[in-house]
Amino acid sequence: MSSMRDIKQRITNISSVEQIIKAMDMVASTKLLKARAQLDGVRPIYHELKRITEELGNNSNAKSHIFYKEHEVRNSLYIVLTSDRGLSGSYNANIMAKALEHMEQGKNEKLIVVGSKGKEYFKKKNKNIIHAVTDVNDTQVYYSSEKVAKWLIDVYLSGEVDEVFIAYTHFKTVLSSVPIVEKLLPLATNPAKETDYSNKNYEPDICTFIDNVVPLYLHMNLFRAYSESHTSEQAARMVNMDAAGKNASDLIEELNHMYNRKRQADITQELSEIVGSVNVLNKGGRNES
Amino acid sequence: MADQQTNFPNEKKINLKITTPRGVKFVEKADMLIMRCVDGDLGVLPGHAPVSAVLGDGILHIFNDGVEKQLAVFGGIAQIESKNVDIFSTIAQHPEEIDLERARADREKAEAAMQEEAEELQIQNTQVLLRRSLVRIEVSSHLEEADYYDDGGNEDEDN
Repeated sequence: MSSMRDIKQRITNISSVEQIIKAMDMVASTKLLKARAQLDGVRPIYHELKRITEELGNNSNAKSHIFYKEHEVRNSLYIVLTSDRGLSGSYNANIMAKALEHMEQGKNEKLIVVGSKGKEYFKKKNKNIIHAVTDVNDTQVYYSSEKVAKWLIDVYLSGEVDEVFIAYTHFKTVLSSVPIVEKLLPLATNPAKETDYSNKNYEPDICTFIDNVVPLYLHMNLFRAYSESHTSEQAARMVNMDAAGKNASDLIEELNHMYNRKRQADITQELSEIVGSVNVLNKGGRNES
Repeated sequence: MADQQTNFPNEKKINLKITTPRGVKFVEKADMLIMRCVDGDLGVLPGHAPVSAVLGDGILHIFNDGVEKQLAVFGGIAQIESKNVDIFSTIAQHPEEIDLERARADREKAEAAMQEEAEELQIQNTQVLLRRSLVRIEVSSHLEEADYYDDGGNEDEDN
């Protein structure tokens, strides 16, 4: 059994770790608030643009456009959104496992990885990473997603890849977020609403419209996915830090019990030693006298 | 336009909605809108035929009950229907949100850069910066003197 000093030492260690955990918990919860506000802001424009691009795909002129046209797939591009920092529980593992599972289906894949965790992971798996984005400041996410959207359009238009998927973590509630792999390009159409879009006018013309709306949509889609992932990350970290904080205080309590019991035992032992020796001394003295 | 307007005797206003990445920014009723598209200004009255337009960098004029409001809108798209106009743009600024000092600085920077020789891409970037700074300056000067109005000689393209 460890000595009293060892236990004392462990208690001090765990207390300082607990303080760090609490600080991280607080940072995560403020970041979560901010991330949620950003996510709530971007969701409406994303949904509307998604609807517009899907409806646009029903137009016969749009079907032949490169963004909509289905072609034979040789190379696929995956954009995987992970975090730069750890200590967020299974957040990174979940999304990377989901992305990897999706890649099993096949073809030659190229990767754009966001976040250093994903970069390391896919490097170990010997995947073909064509771009990696790491250490993006929270305020720069908007511009960073614009850049990624541009890369993505460039490689798609140059014919290097024939389809594009995005893997991100969809934020449902603080306690639940779901890793999702979605197809970005070629754009999906929505055949359910195939109605009177033929008489609709486009200013200046439909090709220019598509050329403008699709990059905007992709940028917003990436920005949204980024925000979803970021919000999920902060939520996961907050939940995990909560749990860790609880574990730490449980552990401290247990160690305190152990420490007290040990102290008690030591005192009891000392007392019995004293009493025993006093008895022995007393007896010896009486015998001598 | 006049007979189109009579198709809607009860509601003669346009419901304008501007959505940006920061959420739904602006919801208002309007009598008339003039927006800057990539190839000129587009005026919209209630009862407009459904059109989807690509917006350029410019001023969005909103006329309601004889009062004109201006917003700086940079790029994006507009979905126009008979009663509704939905604008989706990455940047839409109120006059009071515009940092005039910064816009002036941008303009000077861009004008200085114009004098130098540069690559094609850089020239384009400079032009965008200059155009945006000019729009910002114009919109914020509208805040100071309410009757200031100059459409820069662009033709309206109603249809």
